[in-house]
Amino acid sequence: MTGQLKKLTANYDEPDLHRMEVYERLGGYGSARKAALDMTQEEVLDQLEASGLRGRGGAGFSMGKKASFIPEGTMEKYLCCNADESEPGAFKDRVLMQRNPHQLIEGCIIGAIAAQATRAFIFIRGEYETQAKMLDAAVTEAYEKGYLGSGIFGSQTDLELVVHRGQGAYICGEESALLDALEGKRGNPRLKPPFPANQGLYQGPTLINNVETLCNTPAIIEHGPEWFAAMGVDKSTGTKMVSVSGNVQRAGNFEVELGIPVREIIYGLAGGPPEGRDLKCFFPGGSSAPVLTKEHLDLPFTYEAMAEAGSMLGTASMIVVDDSQPIVPLALNLAGFYRHESCGKCVPCREGTNWTVHMLERIDQGDATPMDLEIMAEVQTNIIGNCLCVLGDSMAMPIGSMIKHFRGEFEQHIEAARAARDREHIRAFSAGELAAAGEAGPA
Amino acid sequence: MARPQIKEISFEIDGREVRAPEGTMLVDAAKSGDVEIPYFCYEPKLGQPVGACRMCLVEIEGMPKLQTSCSTPVKDGMVINTTSDRVKSAQNAIVEFLLINHPLDCPVCDKGGECPLQDISYGWGGGKSRFIEPKRHFRKPLELSPLVAIDRERCILCYRCVRFSQEVAEDYQLVFLERGDHTYVGTHDGRPYVGPFSGNILDLCPVGALTSTAYRFRARPWDVEEAGSLCTLCPSQCNVQLTIRDDSKVLRAFARDNPEVDDGWLCDKGRFGYQAIHSEERLRAPMVRDGSMLREAPWDHALEQAAAALTRAGAGTAALAGGATTNEEAFLLGHLMREALGSPHLDARAGGALDPQQARVLARPDLSARVSDIDHADVILVVDTELVEEAPILDLRVRKAARRNNAKVVTLTGRPSSLDPNATAAVRFAPGAAEAALSALAAELGSGRATGSRLHSRAGCEPGAIGAAAEVLRAAGDVVVLWGERISDGARGASAVDALLAVAGALGIVDRPESGLIEVPAATNARGMREAGVAPGLAPGLTDAPEAGMPAAEIAGALGAGELSALILLHEDPLATHPERRRWQTALDTAATVIAFTDFVTTALRDYATVIFPAESYAEKEGTLTHPDGRLQRVRQAIGHQGQVRPEWSVLAELAGRCGARPDVRSAPQVTQKLFATVGFLDGLTLDEIGGKGVRWQDRDAASNLPRAELPEGTLEVPPELPEGMRLGTVPSLWAGTTVEHAPSLRFLAPVQRAELAPADAHRLGVGSGDEVEVAAGGQRLRATVALRQAMQPGSVFLVSGTADNNATALTNGVPRTVEITKTAGAVNGAGPPAAAPAAPGPGAQPPPV
Amino acid sequence: MRDRRTMPLGWDEAVDLERDPAVVPDPAEVEVPEALRASITAAMQRYPDRHSAVLPALAAAQKVHGWCSPEALRQVAAVMQVTPAYLSSLASYYDMLRTEPIGSRYVYVCTSVACHVRDARAVYEAIAQEARDQELEDVEVRNFECLGACDMAPMASVDGRYVGPLSEDDAHELVAAVKENREVLPGRGLGDEGFRLPWEDKA
Repeated sequence: MTGQLKKLTANYDEPDLHRMEVYERLGGYGSARKAALDMTQEEVLDQLEASGLRGRGGAGFSMGKKASFIPEGTMEKYLCCNADESEPGAFKDRVLMQRNPHQLIEGCIIGAIAAQATRAFIFIRGEYETQAKMLDAAVTEAYEKGYLGSGIFGSQTDLELVVHRGQGAYICGEESALLDALEGKRGNPRLKPPFPANQGLYQGPTLINNVETLCNTPAIIEHGPEWFAAMGVDKSTGTKMVSVSGNVQRAGNFEVELGIPVREIIYGLAGGPPEGRDLKCFFPGGSSAPVLTKEHLDLPFTYEAMAEAGSMLGTASMIVVDDSQPIVPLALNLAGFYRHESCGKCVPCREGTNWTVHMLERIDQGDATPMDLEIMAEVQTNIIGNCLCVLGDSMAMPIGSMIKHFRGEFEQHIEAARAARDREHIRAFSAGELAAAGEAGPA
Repeated sequence: MARPQIKEISFEIDGREVRAPEGTMLVDAAKSGDVEIPYFCYEPKLGQPVGACRMCLVEIEGMPKLQTSCSTPVKDGMVINTTSDRVKSAQNAIVEFLLINHPLDCPVCDKGGECPLQDISYGWGGGKSRFIEPKRHFRKPLELSPLVAIDRERCILCYRCVRFSQEVAEDYQLVFLERGDHTYVGTHDGRPYVGPFSGNILDLCPVGALTSTAYRFRARPWDVEEAGSLCTLCPSQCNVQLTIRDDSKVLRAFARDNPEVDDGWLCDKGRFGYQAIHSEERLRAPMVRDGSMLREAPWDHALEQAAAALTRAGAGTAALAGGATTNEEAFLLGHLMREALGSPHLDARAGGALDPQQARVLARPDLSARVSDIDHADVILVVDTELVEEAPILDLRVRKAARRNNAKVVTLTGRPSSLDPNATAAVRFAPGAAEAALSALAAELGSGRATGSRLHSRAGCEPGAIGAAAEVLRAAGDVVVLWGERISDGARGASAVDALLAVAGALGIVDRPESGLIEVPAATNARGMREAGVAPGLAPGLTDAPEAGMPAAEIAGALGAGELSALILLHEDPLATHPERRRWQTALDTAATVIAFTDFVTTALRDYATVIFPAESYAEKEGTLTHPDGRLQRVRQAIGHQGQVRPEWSVLAELAGRCGARPDVRSAPQVTQKLFATVGFLDGLTLDEIGGKGVRWQDRDAASNLPRAELPEGTLEVPPELPEGMRLGTVPSLWAGTTVEHAPSLRFLAPVQRAELAPADAHRLGVGSGDEVEVAAGGQRLRATVALRQAMQPGSVFLVSGTADNNATALTNGVPRTVEITKTAGAVNGAGPPAAAPAAPGPGAQPPPV
Repeated sequence: MRDRRTMPLGWDEAVDLERDPAVVPDPAEVEVPEALRASITAAMQRYPDRHSAVLPALAAAQKVHGWCSPEALRQVAAVMQVTPAYLSSLASYYDMLRTEPIGSRYVYVCTSVACHVRDARAVYEAIAQEARDQELEDVEVRNFECLGACDMAPMASVDGRYVGPLSEDDAHELVAAVKENREVLPGRGLGDEGFRLPWEDKA
């Protein structure tokens, strides 16, 4: 299997697709209407579960199963769409929302029916100003049509949908942090259990799904679960948006069936590294995924194969790094990102990301020895598994993988930077600058 | 909602089979197996665990990842390992992470020697650090408030202090600012963290990041001793631990956890009030009047003078007791008055008098609630008391019930209550109209006793407000009623209490063991004093006294009219604490003899006292107090008597002796024994039984010795119509009084007079926020600064009472009173916005707290 | 222009003991611009719990005041009946809320991994330098974490409008346009009519 298979994005070249009129002309809202009027909640749930649709936000958990965890009862239940796409390398949800906002709204309606939710929220990152405005406009259209509000499509079902804008914090993409942020708190992750399905938003049962996951549901209801399950491979059914970025010739989103070889994505679809450059490594699933190298190019792009290779498929956001990029600044950039985005709640993540950045800075400035590399690797081990949420691990795993795959380069960098620093000190000392500046000698 | 039933389960920890109550968090359950799991952020008093410090990770069989034992409830058959290599390496890692930015300034850190971080680093750390980067450095210590210094280098961001501020005190002033490794504890825009409970963060901090400005560098843990006692500064009677140096000096007070009383919290008055004990201005020797001067005198001379004057006055003597008078002192005062002087005129109640029968009904075990009943109540009804000013720790208790157990709160008050944001229904009545409001509530609840017409309007309530409150109450199972002594202020006091009892009857409180009433009195030991016989018409044990006596208000009148000639003031200054200040002024002016027991000479005493005996501080005292819920607790001597101060029980006994009726007591415990033997329902009680946590007398068999008293049944009196005009209400301030004035750390909290007005009234009167006004009634006037309150009932103005100067009681006269308000000067900083046209949401429209 | 790695505001400062504590302001004591009050009240009504409206409310107040100033927070606190500290805690947590008067508009230059490998640092530094050279005022220019537009790396968000791919050569024009309140790099903004990435043209 090669190339793209455009199902989710089939109509994306249609002008003005973001308008209700166009979306409906192409069959839009047929599935939501069907789910609201002609299907029971159980039927909707069954179809989603039978389709094998896995969450597209990174964890890859069955969407139908997750919805089935929502307990019965009269308490208010909620659907939250996670549109806080902030993982470096990920930009698929942005495109899905801006090209086809009604598809997401329809997905929210179907998801809400499956979860028996009467209130839904789309938590969109504040930086996506344009996309949020488009969603707002689309939501208004949907309310005007009676597809949202009380008695949707003339049924007995009510659904309120609010587009909620974040204000800039990567961690709000973590589902429990998203709930806290939506409740008007600092977006810090919660202890789990309890899980959101039992006690989520406002302590009520809550289904949280990624934009792409929900966008897939209208087609499942329209064509049936078998149609969806026939695409893709094994447990990874349907099509998947893959975002490719970094040192490639044609960065962008590609809709593919999982199982496609990695090489086909990087070289076939995205054109590979620029002329004259070679692949150094790539993050297969966003910056939180441990890096893989050339030897992994022929693996099929599946959750399982990526995990087996020591990484993860995650959000299927592939960042490609070519051989012009030194590893230490890359690692420093990555660690700096996670330090900045750590919420600070738990100790290993807060202190570990900070410590890692300090060590990398020393390495870069010629203030380190190869022993520091050992300490740095151990610090990563001490972070992994000990944190409240996965953010700490999200730094520690790729940094660990870089040390593993590029230990030699790290060591060379250490030595070269030390030598450069020593030379600079000798020069400065000879020139009499050192004493004047009152600067201490090299550590 | 009934108290939950808890069953025991068994589980295995580190190879040991252990039993623990089901649902206990592992970290606590482990203690049953003598296994200690280290932690920093866990503190069940603060609510749900946060799992932030990661120190308590353990291995649980069947779970792939290590789990935080602070958030994992123990289940039957669980197998836990706290010593495996995985756990140990996680513990080492966490300690290493914690220490990389923690300064190792333990030698100069106040927490040194009593620091969980020190202990845990020693016990569970790896003993080494590989961090060679520069640590964070900041200016330190910095002021966080006048009471608390913050050292941000030392802070490990454990969440305890901010959770306290946000989820216990609910003042939400202390927060985390910024994010990630930049996170720090702070306030908004550099404002100080000032709230009645701010000092608790000192107890909570597991490192030396938050230190007491008053205690910093005063001592090391090994220089001091701890002494358990009781705070006697308000009716909450919180359990405290005093830090003592050289048997003579109190250096610090902190909370001593007693879930039945205080939940382990302490207000700032209780925490820093100890400073007054060592104030230079504290009276340490007797004083005797010499012409216009009070002069220090030898004990013998002072006793002789006092005894002679009292003997002369004989049955013309009256006595007021207040403050922290112990049960024993009250008992001996009763002896002095009734046996030695033959006078029945003694009272301990600033508000209106209780009928003796009412006193007995209110004491009935089936009508009274215990403090911990608040936790599990379905509805908490707060009647005309501002808990945060009058019994602050109960305010926290109500907040806890509402926050954690979804208890509904109903406020029925004259002044907007600080609990309104937590309330399901908030009812405002006109100042002084508690009786009418309670009658109206009784009527709404279907009590056949309330028959008056137009009760709502007599109460000055919004139409429908009382109905809404009644609806919440009717649907409730267990109800706890916290009622302010204030409802009985003035001449109609007994009628107001009768209306309260009608509400209690309509709620069926006697039939529900976890429902009940708790009085919030003005004086710390009001209940104990009453039960020990300091009340007109009541002998010890709430039996009828042989002779009816005058209540406080009548005593004032009789002194002023010359019908009585002497007054004993036991820890009481009526000009500060009793209504009708003017009347008391006349009384003191006219009285031939005033004998006072006090720690500080107030203006009133300086002007009027004949003999003053120095009072003991609570740190010097031995005796018992009775909590408003009936719990007897011990005050224990922690330091030696300062100066020439003598035990007051012995002074009272000596005075009685010199006046002709020497009681047979030679030691403090002997007085206690005699009291217990005299009071029927305390029969057989011993100090040992009271122990460190106290005993509620209602829970003992002897409670049946309480003289029988039935709930009244007759028709309630019809309350009077309200006067027209701006009606004056008063609110006491926790921070008024001599303790605060003489505790250097607290002085900044001393209240200034302010007039709280509804925006509509302010608009009409042409005044705005911050303006200076004069409030006048009956020829008396006082100055105040205007504060606007959106939730204030139009037609009401509230002033602070209990202040040394400018006391609102100067304007009160025992009946609902109207006042004139005139502007004297604009706002000092001109910042006050013009009084906005009224857009007042009705009471209860306030949103819940953050 | 603020380097986010320097010490945060207030970390090294004591409180001002002369000032009053910041409690929930009584609504009667605070004047709030009517439009702001209406927008906050509307936001509170959208959610089952009014606290959920706090981010929309802060964003609205920031629009009015240019930043989350103490007065802005006091107004939000009065309408929402929360403490100003609750709002400070949030305003300082979220990157898009400004707790200093550093500009009522913004230019965020993405420097995260995908942009990093395409020389985003140099682009950011060029823009920052231009901003200094051209004395750009009332605009927050900062490097920002991944903006979700790695396909157009290196890129920047100018008041929510994404432009890219950028090179150092674009810095001068970008800053000039921001300064003169013109549309920045017309045709190169995501969502512009006919916007195409360079390689999409080739395809």
